[in-house]
Parts: sequence; C-alpha cells; structure tokens
Amino acid sequence: MPTLIIDNQTVTVPEGTNVLEAAKRLGIEIPHFCHHEALGSVGACRLCAVEFREGPVKGIQMSCMVPAKDGMVVDTGSAEVLAYRAQVIEWLMTNHPHDCPVCDEGGECQLQDMTVAGGHGIRRYTGPKRTYQNQNLGPFIAHEMNRCIQCYRCVRTYQDYCGGTDFGVLGSRQRLYFGRFSDGPLESPFAGNLIDVCPTGVLTDKTYRFKSRIWDLQEAPSICPHCSLGCAVTPGARYRQLQRRRARTNNRTNGHFICDRGRFGYGYANHPDRPRYPLLGHRRVTWQEALAALQNKLQELGELFGPGSIGLLTSSRATLETQFLTKRWAAALGSDQLCFEAHPGRDLGARVAASQRLDRTASLEDVRNCDLAVLIGADPLSEAPMLALALRQAARRGARIVVVDPRPVELPLAYERHAVSVEKLGQLLRGLSRPQQSEFPSSMEELGGSLASALLAAKSPLLIGGTDLLGPQGTEAMQQAAEACSQPETPCRTMFLLAGPNSFGGALLSAEGPCFSSLLEGMEQGRIKALLCFEADPLADYPDRKRSRAALARLDMLAVFDCAATATLQEADLFFPTTAVEESTGTLINNEGRMQAFEQVFSAGTPLAESAGGSHPPRFFSRDIPGSEPQSAWGILGALMGRSADLLTLRSEIEKNDHRFAGLSQLEARGEGRRIAAPRQYSLSHQPNISGIMGSDQLQLLVTETLYGSELLSNLSSCLHESTPSAFVMLHPQDAARFKLEEGKKVLLGTPVGDLTLTLRIAGDMVPGMAIVPRLRGTVLEPLVPGTEPLPCRIEKA
Amino acid sequence: MNDVLLTFILIVIKLGLVLGTVLSLAAYMVLAERKILGRMQMRHGPNRVGPFGLLQPLADLIKLLCKEDLIPERADRWVFMLAPAISTVTALLAFAVIPFAAPLHLFGRTIPMVVCDLNVGLLYLFALSSLAVYGVALGGWASQSKYALLGGLRAMAQMISYELAMGLAIVPVVMASKSFSLTAIVAAQQPWPNAIRHPLAFLIFVIAIMAESKRTPFDMPEAENELVAGFHTEYSGMRFGMFFVGEYLNLIVLGAMLTVLFLGGWHGPLLPSVCWFLIKVLGVAFFFIWVRGTMPRLRYDQLMAFGWKILVPLGLLNILVTAAWLLWRG
Amino acid sequence: MSLWRDIRGTILPFWVTLRYLFRRPVTVCYPERKQTPAPRYRGRLVLTRDPDGEERCVACHLCSAACPVDCISMQAAEREDGRRHAAWFRINFSRCIFCGLCTEACPTLALQMTSEYELASRELLQVIYEKDELLIDGCGKNDGYNFYRLAGIGVAAPRGSNPGETPPVDFRSNLP
Ligand code: SF4
Ligand code: SF4
Ligand code: SF4
Ligand code: SF4
Ligand code: FES
Repeated sequence: MPTLIIDNQTVTVPEGTNVLEAAKRLGIEIPHFCHHEALGSVGACRLCAVEFREGPVKGIQMSCMVPAKDGMVVDTGSAEVLAYRAQVIEWLMTNHPHDCPVCDEGGECQLQDMTVAGGHGIRRYTGPKRTYQNQNLGPFIAHEMNRCIQCYRCVRTYQDYCGGTDFGVLGSRQRLYFGRFSDGPLESPFAGNLIDVCPTGVLTDKTYRFKSRIWDLQEAPSICPHCSLGCAVTPGARYRQLQRRRARTNNRTNGHFICDRGRFGYGYANHPDRPRYPLLGHRRVTWQEALAALQNKLQELGELFGPGSIGLLTSSRATLETQFLTKRWAAALGSDQLCFEAHPGRDLGARVAASQRLDRTASLEDVRNCDLAVLIGADPLSEAPMLALALRQAARRGARIVVVDPRPVELPLAYERHAVSVEKLGQLLRGLSRPQQSEFPSSMEELGGSLASALLAAKSPLLIGGTDLLGPQGTEAMQQAAEACSQPETPCRTMFLLAGPNSFGGALLSAEGPCFSSLLEGMEQGRIKALLCFEADPLADYPDRKRSRAALARLDMLAVFDCAATATLQEADLFFPTTAVEESTGTLINNEGRMQAFEQVFSAGTPLAESAGGSHPPRFFSRDIPGSEPQSAWGILGALMGRSADLLTLRSEIEKNDHRFAGLSQLEARGEGRRIAAPRQYSLSHQPNISGIMGSDQLQLLVTETLYGSELLSNLSSCLHESTPSAFVMLHPQDAARFKLEEGKKVLLGTPVGDLTLTLRIAGDMVPGMAIVPRLRGTVLEPLVPGTEPLPCRIEKA
Repeated sequence: MNDVLLTFILIVIKLGLVLGTVLSLAAYMVLAERKILGRMQMRHGPNRVGPFGLLQPLADLIKLLCKEDLIPERADRWVFMLAPAISTVTALLAFAVIPFAAPLHLFGRTIPMVVCDLNVGLLYLFALSSLAVYGVALGGWASQSKYALLGGLRAMAQMISYELAMGLAIVPVVMASKSFSLTAIVAAQQPWPNAIRHPLAFLIFVIAIMAESKRTPFDMPEAENELVAGFHTEYSGMRFGMFFVGEYLNLIVLGAMLTVLFLGGWHGPLLPSVCWFLIKVLGVAFFFIWVRGTMPRLRYDQLMAFGWKILVPLGLLNILVTAAWLLWRG
Repeated sequence: MSLWRDIRGTILPFWVTLRYLFRRPVTVCYPERKQTPAPRYRGRLVLTRDPDGEERCVACHLCSAACPVDCISMQAAEREDGRRHAAWFRINFSRCIFCGLCTEACPTLALQMTSEYELASRELLQVIYEKDELLIDGCGKNDGYNFYRLAGIGVAAPRGSNPGETPPVDFRSNLP
C-alpha cells in the first residue's frame, strides 16, 4: 500500500495503482485520452503528463504509466506540465478537421474539452491536413476518420475487451487508420461501445446521427430492460423521443459497457404503432371511461361469480412496484388467481433460481473474476449478452470456460465446448450433484468426472445455466450440483439466465402461487371470467398459442395494461396505455437478486418528429401534449385501489411487507443497486413436473432465443431490424445429409404449429438429431416459444 | 328656517364646486407633474393620448378602473380595503375649511367663499392631516408584506415627526392674527403676507408639508429602490388609484394651506380673488414638482435627525422670538 | 464655508432643472420619426446563405446553447450528400432580448443580425419566425466564408480537394 503526495495531498492506494488513478481518488482529474478504467493504460496520447518531484522517478512522466510508489511527490499542474500538455494538444490538433459544428460528439467530446483546457485556440501550423476516406461500418456506427487522434482506445475495446476481430488499426506512421479492412457492418455484438470509448467524433452513434446535442438531451440513470442482467444505462431523450442509450458504470454488473441489444433497443418507446390511449373494444375512450368500465365489470363479475373469477397476470417486464401492487390488488379483490409470468416453465425456473442462497449467487463482477465457468444450457450472446463479455474478461485473466450445450453456442473468447443433447444436460447436472458416486449418463462419464474435479479444484468456480433449457428441474439440479461442488473456502457460485429484467421480483412475490397453466385451466372451465394483464403478453409468451388463444377467447373481459402493441392487445376488451421504462420510475430485480431503481428520463408523448411530420412544432398554443396519456402501471394500479401514487410510500410499504426487499426505499438510481436480503425458499415438489424428458429417434425441435429478434421490446426498435436474421432452421451436417438438404436452401419444417418454410443453416458444433429454430417475433417462427421440452418435428425439401 | 335652508343649499353648491375643481385639478396635477418632470429631463412626457397627451388622466383612470383588484391572500381584508379611502377622504375633507376667495356680497348677504367657515378651522386641518397617517399606516400594515409594512412604518414616523414642526411653525401665525379661523388669518395678511412677516415659520412650514406629502426628497415611505413601492406595494387597480389621487389631493390641500397661512390667501391686485388663490396654489404645486425634479432622496436617519434636531428647535425658537416681539409691540 | 457650499449645492440644481425645462427634448418621437440604425445595430436575426447559395446553417445547436433566454430551437437533419442542415429552425422573437450572443456563437456565420427592429405585433405567433421567414437570399455581412469548404469533410467538394488538405491516404500500404 504505497503512500504518496499528489498536489500536496497524501493518499494511500493499493499496490499496482497508477498515479493517474491515485490522483482520481483525491478528486484530481488528470487530463487523459488513452487511459480507460476498463481498458488500462498504454501511454499513447501523452496527455496525462505530470511532474514527479521526489521519489523513484523524477521529472515529467506519463501518470498512467507510472505505478504509485512510496515517497512520490507529484505535481499535476506545474508550469512545465501545463506547457507540455498544451503542446500535446496542439500537435494532436494539427490534423484535426474544423468540423465540430457538424460532429455529433460536440459537447461531449474529450478532445474539445482538452483543447479548451489546454488553451489551444489558434492553429499555428499552416501545413495541409491529412484526410481519410470513411467506411460504412453498418447500421450502428458512423465513421469519420479525419477526427482521429490515434489514442487506440477503439482497438483496445473492440479487440481486447470485446473480442471482435473485424476492426483494428491499419497503415503506418501518419496514415494510421482505425477501421475494417473493407466496408461492412461490425460483427461484434458489443460494437456500440466504440461510441462511448472513442474520445473524439470518429465513431459516433449512427442511430442518433444529427438528432441532438448532449445539452439538449434529457438524461437520467436507468436500467436496460432487454434481458435479465439489468445493465446500467443512461438513456437520452429530446422532443418526447428516446434518442439513444449509452452505458452507465456499475462495477457490480455491467462494468463500463453494454451490448448492442441494450444500446440500440431503445426504439420501442418511439414505435409509431405504440398504443397511446385507452381503448374500450377498439374505440378510443378517456381514462375515466376506461377505468369506470373496468371497475363496473369487475364488480359485476365479483357479485355474480365471486372474486375467484378474476385472474391477474404480470410479467418479467413489470416493475417490482407494479408486481407488488398487483398482488395487493388481487388480495383486495379476494382473488388468488394471480401469476407473475405467462410462461410456466420460465415462471417455475425463476422461482427456483430465486431460492438460491445469496452467497452462492454470482454477479457479473464475480463472473469477471472467476477462474472456471461451466455454462450448461446457457447461450450468453442470445440470452444475456453482457455475460459473454464478462466471461471474456475472465478468460483474459486465464479462466477456463466450458460450454455444455446442444446449441452451437458462440462466445468471443477461447473456450471448450461439448455438444450435449437437452435431456443429457439434466442428467449431467444430477451426476454433478453427486460427484462422488459418478452417476453420469453414458458417454458423459469422462466429461462429468473432469468437470466435477475441476469445479472442486477451482478457486472461484462458477456454474451458469439458462432456465429456458434447464427447466425448473434442471435449475434445481444445478443448485444442488453447485452445492456439491463447493469447498468451504471455494464455494461454487451459480448464475441463472432468466426470462426478463424482473423475473426475479416476480419469482419472489409469487411464492407458492399458481402458475399460468392453472389460470388457463380456470378460463377453460369457465371459472375465471376476467383476466387483467399488467405488461404481460400471455398470447405470445405461453408456449401453446392455440390453447392460450382459445382460453382467452372464453373470457368475459380481457384487460391489458401495456406500453407495446402486443399480440394480447389485439384481443383485449379494455386497454390502458402504460409508460415505457424510460418514461417512469421503478425498480427491477436482476437475475442475481439485485434491486436496481431507475429514474424517469422523459415524459411520455408522441415524438415531435412524428406528430409534426418532420417539420417544425405546431404553430398554436395548447396545454395538451399529443400521446401523453400513458401512465405508469403502478400508478394506474394505485389509482384503481384508491391509494396515493407516491413512490416512496409505496417502496417503504413493500419493504415493510417483505423483509427481503429491505433497503428498497433508500435505493438510489445512481448507485450499484442492492441485493435482496434473503432468498425465498421454494420447492418444486408440489408443482406438476412440466419438463417431461422424452427420448426418441425422431428429429427434435428446439426453440432458442437470439441476440436480436426474440426479446419483445428490442424487437420493436427499428435500429435493430437490419441486424435481425430472417427465419432459419439449424441442422447438424449429419442430419442435413440424412435428409439430403443443402445449406442456404429453403426447407419445409413440420412443427406442431404448422408447416413452415425456412432457410437452412448447417452448424457442425451442435448436437445431432435436433433442429434448432430461433424465436423470431414478427416472422413465421413467432408462435414457437423457447423454454419448453423439445417438440417433435420433421424436415424436408421445400 | 328659510335661512338655514339657504345656507344649506349654498354649502352644497360650494361643496360641488370645490369637489369638482379639486378632483379634476388633482388629475391634471398628475399629468402636469409627468410633463414637467419629463421636460426637466429633456423628455416629452406623456404625449400619446389626445393632443399633447391631455387625455392621459382619463386614460389612466379607465386603466385603473379596469384593472384587477388584487387582495393578498393573508391580508387583513377590511382594513386593506378601507385604507385607501381614508387617505383620499381625509384629503378631501380638508377642503371644507379652506377659504378660496374673498367673501361674496350677494342680495345683501355675505357669503363666505369657504364651504364651512369654522372658527377653529386650523385645528380641524391639523386633525385631518393627523388622520391621514392612518390611511398609510393601515394600508402598509394590512398588506401582509414586508415592503408595505416597512413603508407604512416609515410614513407613520415621518408624518408624526414633521407634524410637530408644522404645528410649531403655525403658532406664530396664530399668535399674530389672534384667530384659529382661516378666514380671519387670511384677512389678517393685509398688506403683507405672513411669508414675509414670519420668514422662519414659512421655511419650516414649507419643509414640513413637503415631508407630510411624502414627496421627494422625503419619499422614503415609497422609496422604490428599497421598498418596491412602500406602503402601496400590494395595491392595484382603483385602490392604488385612490392612494395615488390622495397623494395629489394632498398636494393641493397643502398648497392651499400654504397659500392661506403664509401667502396671503386670495389677496392680490387686479385679478379676481379666486384667480389669485388658484395661481398661488398652482405655484406652490409647481414648486413641489420642481423640487421633485431636482432633489435626491434623503437618508432615513437624516430625515429624522433634520426634523427633530433642527426643525423642532427652530420652531420653538421662532415662537419665543415672535412672542417676545408681540409682547414688546404690546 | 461648508455651509455656504451646502446652500449653493441646494440652490444651484434648481437653476439647472429650470433651465432644462425650456430645452428641446432629445427623445425622438418614434412612429412619426424613424431613425436609421447603425450598421451593427442588433435587430432581427436572419439566416444567411453561403457564396454557393446553399444554407449556411448546419444546425449545430450552438446558438440555441448560447441564447440566455432559450428562444432558438431547431432540429438537424442530413441531406443526401451528407450535408447537415436544419430541418426546421425557429426563433421566438417575443422572447429574444437581441443580445447577439447567438450570432457570436455561430461558427458558420449563418446567423446574423440586421437593423430591422419593427417586430412588434399583437399576434404572438407572428413574432415566432420559422426557417423560411428567417432565411435570406444573400450572404449578409460576410460574403466570403463557406464553412463546408473549410470543414475538412467531403460535403461541398470531395475529401482532400478543399483548400489546405492532402488527398486521402491509402491506409493499405505500409510503404513509407
Ligand atoms: S478512432 Fe477514436 S478511439 Fe480510435 S484511435 Fe481514433 S480517436 Fe481514438
Ligand atoms: S446484456 Fe442485457 S441488460 Fe445488458 S445491455 Fe445487453 S440486453 Fe441490456
Ligand atoms: S439575440 Fe440573444 S436572446 Fe436573441 S436569439 Fe440571440 S442569443 Fe437569444
Ligand atoms: S450556431 Fe449557426 S450554424 Fe449553428 S445552429 Fe445556430 S445558426 Fe445554425
Ligand atoms: S492517458 Fe496517459 S498517455 Fe494517454
């Protein structure tokens, strides 16, 4: 722990900290370009110069390259240092174009700040400036190479941190070029981070191109709603339009970066088809009318059929506040027909996951620091993209990453993979939970045994599972396996990938409550007459769409509260528009049980760009904001229950009601969130076994998530459409040969939901005997939902 | 019986005459002040409404009448509404005893050209000017505003202090004319007006009435750069208008007092006596405006010190000297 | 002595004000008489064009950021040739205090002040100017400056062919 003096202040820092970071602890910001907390230092930009007066090194040195040592006396602002920095700026600016006014980085550009801070106002060098041709880097990133200052941050981010290979540095000397070898979209799903790291305007957000300036944006700390990891983001909105999202720092979860689904999935809030006013049937009505209609109907049903005739459903998209109030309202109505997820497998999976001991639950930070991660039935890039990036950081430190999966899981890192069929995953886990007995399924003894001993030997081992593939039983088995593979000093942690940003919250609240299948049964038998869906889409999410459609059709009333035009909305008798995440406040609990609050970024309303048709704002005075009717789901629930709509009161009530949520009312959106206080005990024994594992020679159909196209909200974002694949089916080469099918050709896939014509892809590293289709909303594949046991199917030439 | 009726009718006629003249005079005094001040500062002053801006008072009146009558939420409603009226009414009542022309001899009757010739007219005047303090003080207090309260306090202190000096200045005049009746005082100023006979008393009186009228250089109660508008900060519409009119009525009353007590009243050669009276009153008013255009505002402590430490002792001294002189003259 | 000074100091100003009373007022009676403002008078704002006849404004938001009363609003857009321009541009002259900070901030010399000052209207919306009302057909006070030729991006002319630029580098070559 060296102690040193910086600008007359003494600071003690851990061994290995560089002087730049040490100064930051004192609140002294040394100007820098190339150093980045997550990327480290390279000493390329020469801006972080400071003067060392005493100690092992003397004179002007780069603070990012000098580790702090005892006895150092550092001056960060002496006259020589300032003159040195001013010169650095001046030479960085010799080739910089004169185009700040048309540069999207303007206002949040480190080069601008440093130039002004360095006092460089007039270019003394009068020689010609170097120019470059730009590249088309795909739909996400705009490229303007002339602005580059050769700090190498982009390459270090793209290649080192994110594991991308198609972007790098080319050329030499004065001709350094940061780009691809030829035009084309960037392949890495983390390419968007280039926008955040590039300190100049070379790499900017194409979807945000020329939309705004930072000082005109409304920004607030928020949470990404597109998967269960709950990465910290800062969305920016202007003129009632959500215009971008950028990464926020939370060292417990995402660190400094986010994935492209999170970054570019924001478009759902601006979707032109988003329903923005209450509907009765398909008629637009006022809030009062809609609420009155709802209350009347509920009262009528309650009197005629008893409170049990009302079913309530929320989803993993709903905030904790909404879920809690739904539960409260169900209690007030006297109904026990309440469920927090329309997909029974995912529901139970999440309930099992939420019963995990907290000291055994891994956060993304733990993932980054692990030395062995075994992924069983988890496909990070599709189900929780930032997990892949965290795993890469672990791998960069030398961790061993093992993937056991039927799918051709890809990761941006070096890893071992084992293609194993779905049913064997469960058996492997059951074997792992009794490592001494070596009860591994046939052909897996070797893998199972080696995994068991590796897990027992590792310092911080990790088991990562996707609840979709594992199912509730598999999830439970993984917990037992982790328990069995733990040593007292080296516990084996687990991480489960859940269905949505607040699956965990729903799981905690649902306890032993019914799952959606039993609600469906109730509807089929005519016991349940009304269903209230709070940000839930049972039609699209329940695996058997035929059954759910038939059951919903029997309802007397289907009321939907949502911010997106879902499949269920088409059938709704009553609709209430709710706000998007960015338009309200709330709390989400991510897959490790971390409660994270988010703040309101902007108020709901039809974007000006849409309501004014691209022209200037209307020329009349009005108090009404078009499309401003959506209200937060918990606000509506509060109104229905006649309570005050105060978030703080609500949060303290949640806290008081259930000690697991302790600390909720002190939660700050800017902070790191807070783990729940205790898991909820849950046992699968009294739920029907829903994951019947069948063995057969027939081709099995497995539905999985994809990076783009599967998740409801991000799929509504038009920025992502270009990157969303079109419908395909994946086969092992053996099977392709068996059925005489060729890659890239159209094939006919016979499934329980009908015959689908799809393009064939062949993947050598998947398990044979299986056809894999992605869940792609808005395509023929839409009715197929992941998280079920493999379905029977057949395949032939189209 | 007949006699009483006649007197009554005469009073009513005189009352109407005086009221009409005084009120329109007050209105035009506002215009005159703005015009004269403007010219002194090389501006035009109001010149948009009517020829030379002559209809400006009418426009102002309409504007004031049309404005919303705001009453601050926590104000003392009744007092707040009453205060401006006190201020205006006391000023108007003062005219009752002011003789504005030589008595008229008509059909064998002597009709005094005063609404009511009280034999203690002077005391009545003083009583009213003391009452006028109430308008300001209550208005400032009832507004529930710190500016108004401070303004009201200042006005009260200032008016009480200078009333003393004013009273002391008049004692020699009363002693010399041996009457409290204003008609008698005017009559006693032949051939020399009191201003010449009692120059010191005149000076003290002029300064004191300037302070009584709360005008520059003694306008601390409404010093706009510290107190926004002083005691009438919270007033708007016609209520503000009443304060405003009250101030100009007061200007005329004080002018008339000065005329009656020191400038020889209606006496003067050639022109009819009413004209002389009017000329003198207007002259005094012009002088007041002139002072406003010339002098800066005093500091509050200077104002109090000047009143108590200079004017009051001087007034006392003046009484002594006059008394001694009167004694010596027998 | 000082008493004498005080008395003089009290009396003399009366003489001054009396003298001024008979001077001719300096106020110009506006609607009847109109003055020609100085060339640099800070009157109504206009958007000018560059020497090529194109809109100068690049919708950079600097004027709106500089404006102390927030009366400028705009939305930027991209033209086919990559030119950034204002899709709409609005100045609310009922708020403008004619301080000129916006014109000082404008990096393209697009926003300039004219000597037009007769803007008053009873109709509030009439003093809210949109781009078509602001845009004039000339260069205003500076007829030489063309931002896009000096910006170093290939909008007005291909990259490398603007003054003070070298042709685009060939990054695929490692030759010196
Ligand atoms: S493109 Fe940006 S991040 Fe990359 S070297 Fe250039 S300035 Fe640095
Ligand atoms: S990993 Fe998940 S939570 Fe994080 S940014 Fe991507 S989609 Fe959002
Ligand atoms: S002149 Fe001043 S107030 Fe008017 S638009 Fe420009 S910056 Fe704003
Ligand atoms: S500063 Fe100039 S170029 Fe920028 S938006 Fe304003 S007028 Fe247009
Ligand atoms: S930050 Fe140290 S050299 Fe760039």
